[in-house]
Amino acid sequence: MAQALEVKQMSTEPSKNLVTIKGTKDGLTVLLDDQCSFDELIKELKEKMKKDKQVFGNGPEVEVKVDAGYRYLRSHQKEQIINLLEEAEPILVGEFHSKVITREQAEREKEEGGLTSVAKIVRSGQVLRIQGDVLLLGDVNPGGIIEATGNVYILGTLKGTARAGIEGSKNAVVCASVMAPHQISISDAIFYAPDRYEKKDRKPLFEEPVYAYIANEDVEISFEKARLLGQFLKKTAAQKENSLNT
Amino acid sequence: MGEAIVITSGKGGVGKTTTSANIGTALALQEKKVCLVDTDIGLRNLDVVMGLDNRIIYDLVDAAEGRCRVQQALIRDKRFDCLHLLPAAQTSDKSAVNAEQMKQIISELKPDYDYVIIDCPAGIEQGYKNAVSGADQAIVVTTPDIAAVRDADRIVGLLEQEDMSPPRLVVNRVRRTQEEDLLDVDDVVATLAIDLLGIIVDDEEVLKASHKGEPIVMNPNSQASLGYRNIARRILGESVPLMAIDQKKSLFAKVKSMLGLKV
Ligand SMILES: Nc1ncnc2c1ncn2[C@@H]1O[C@H](COP(=O)(O)OP(=O)(O)O)[C@@H](O)[C@H]1O
Ligand SMILES: [Mg+2]
Repeated sequence: MAQALEVKQMSTEPSKNLVTIKGTKDGLTVLLDDQCSFDELIKELKEKMKKDKQVFGNGPEVEVKVDAGYRYLRSHQKEQIINLLEEAEPILVGEFHSKVITREQAEREKEEGGLTSVAKIVRSGQVLRIQGDVLLLGDVNPGGIIEATGNVYILGTLKGTARAGIEGSKNAVVCASVMAPHQISISDAIFYAPDRYEKKDRKPLFEEPVYAYIANEDVEISFEKARLLGQFLKKTAAQKENSLNT
Repeated sequence: MGEAIVITSGKGGVGKTTTSANIGTALALQEKKVCLVDTDIGLRNLDVVMGLDNRIIYDLVDAAEGRCRVQQALIRDKRFDCLHLLPAAQTSDKSAVNAEQMKQIISELKPDYDYVIIDCPAGIEQGYKNAVSGADQAIVVTTPDIAAVRDADRIVGLLEQEDMSPPRLVVNRVRRTQEEDLLDVDDVVATLAIDLLGIIVDDEEVLKASHKGEPIVMNPNSQASLGYRNIARRILGESVPLMAIDQKKSLFAKVKSMLGLKV
């Protein structure tokens, strides 16, 4: 009996602050406690919303960010929280952050982010398809295709077709020691080599290793010396970081 | 137990049949026991090139379907101690035989010969699959032109998936003069990246020889003949340098270079 009473008292403790609303320069962030039970969290959120509804009133629309800390939320739980928050008319939930992901997602991301190296010749009629980045130790012959969701690096001669960012990544690159391709694509931008009858010789496009990329806001594929690839990768990584943080 | 070697190319008309006939004959000249197998059902040629087309009674399809024993279908070449030919059927098509039957026939032949040379049809369909199914090794034939090399590359990719040693390359119909619009042998070898077994020059004697029904390799005075003899010696394990003649400059080019002009 005494125990039950204690529990009841604890759960109604208002000073625990399971839900904190914080104003930052980028707007409002709702911080959710990640130690209490989910039910407790929802209960407190409900109470808070009841009180704060008046605060927000019919003011201008505000986009809030939700930070669930180290709690993993199933999608229906996320939905429940978003619905509660948006009960207050002007509130719009923008981003939903959590520091935890499922093992499946982690594995998928690892696969997508990883580099796979393959030592072979991709011959006419063959397709080598890789999740993430690929490093080919060998040539891609005319009529052969190498494709990756990430970047394509070829330590050899690209004479056939290479496709990078096949699931839409516009920052992907195709880099080859010797660039003599039929076709290159990055995301949905395509580069066609000059038709064979237009070419005077069978020399590669460039005298030295180069990478193909989509220049800023452009839909066309450009080429740059491979030794400048580091800079490009750094720049795109920084852009990615920025877009995640806003 | 003999070795079964399939001669293949992807593209038609590059010299598979010519190469099969001449490698087989060259090995027979070296006193090896050889059986030639024509798997180009419906478009048989090997018997014609060998000059044995008048003696066919049974063929590959008869043997596969059990209408005769394999030995009964063999034609014996009287010019050699042991050079036999298993002709293709002319009246059926490629689907008349399957890979299992082909494997069975080749494995019946192998114990009786040093080499079983299998002439493969063009393409990558049933006929190709049949020809490759019984083989221990493969020789890929190409001519130095872009389309033939593209198809040869396709075939090399397919052969790499088979359970056999890496294929070896014969570049056929190489011109003696370096022409701008043909690939040179180095380009071909660089693209295909397999061992070069030999080069055969383009030689009109080759055509004349098959009209006579006498493979060019039996004529010791032709360049193509020398090329095939060298290939046979390499198959037998000798190391024979590539002929220097193959890519030598034309007389015209030589004169120009003697005069100090750029060729
Ligand atoms: N080295 C060569 N020089 C000249 N002609 C050749 C040479 N090799 C093959 N040929 C000719 O090319 C044609 C096609 O050859 P063939 O061996 O029947 O090719 P495939 O069996 O690959 O279809 C034939 O007329 C043949 O005489
Ligand atoms: Mg043929």
